[in-house]
Amino acid sequence: MNTTTNPSPVQVVVDGDTDVVVTRDFTHPPARVWRALTEPALITQWLGAMKRCEMDPRPGGTFHYEWEEFFFSGPVLAVDAPHHMTHVEHFNGDITSGPTIITNLVARGTGTHMTQIMRYANHEARAAAIAAGFTDGQDDVYDKLEALQISE
Amino acid sequence: MNTVDQSFAALADPTRRAIVARLAQGEATVQELARPFSISQPAISRHLKVLEDAGLIETRIQGAARPRRLKADAVEELWDWLSQFRALWEAKFQKLDAVLDGLANDTDQPPSDTAERSPS
Repeated sequence: MNTTTNPSPVQVVVDGDTDVVVTRDFTHPPARVWRALTEPALITQWLGAMKRCEMDPRPGGTFHYEWEEFFFSGPVLAVDAPHHMTHVEHFNGDITSGPTIITNLVARGTGTHMTQIMRYANHEARAAAIAAGFTDGQDDVYDKLEALQISE
Repeated sequence: MNTVDQSFAALADPTRRAIVARLAQGEATVQELARPFSISQPAISRHLKVLEDAGLIETRIQGAARPRRLKADAVEELWDWLSQFRALWEAKFQKLDAVLDGLANDTDQPPSDTAERSPS
């Protein structure tokens, strides 16, 4: 089989006051991407080895991804396999904070267009998350900075 | 807060991002910066102070005028940081691509009922 050549690398942008939106295309159909996003044996292959990796992709289910120093966990709120999941991602068990993650997989040609919205409680929470390095998104300023770096 | 944190906090506001985008085209005075926005010059000045405190812009003194301009070093530092993190995302998704390729190879085999047969 040919090596995957990805048609479009990841994009990460901020949207409105609370959202960070990650988009990425895959050359495989939604059912296959869904498996890689929800089956622990597959998740650890791309997110890295974990002490504990659990994902119960059903409404009312939970997930728990734990490495040596930290973990993410939270409730699964909505699922429509293999196209949609909404879950909440708490860091180190702090259930008072953490974004709601809305994942959508849409068939595009023979592949999948994935949109992942990370929705924070408010503007400040998003800025803090960005600053902490969870995302790199600053949409338009990002492009402007790129232009600037060339011109300076 | 370190510089990058403060820069991001400063850029969390859309008006300030627009100001930075404007300054990316060249230095500008408070009056020039206020013009495209439907907010007052004092409000613009407050935004400029946040950006200046974050080290993203600086004031040049030119007679009575005080044009603001981007600080190239700070902007480039931020840019390096951003690129690095986008690269991390992409690296993660390229690993996911490889997992998907592996699954495709598995499922290209005849499907499940054959899995129940013991290999002879």
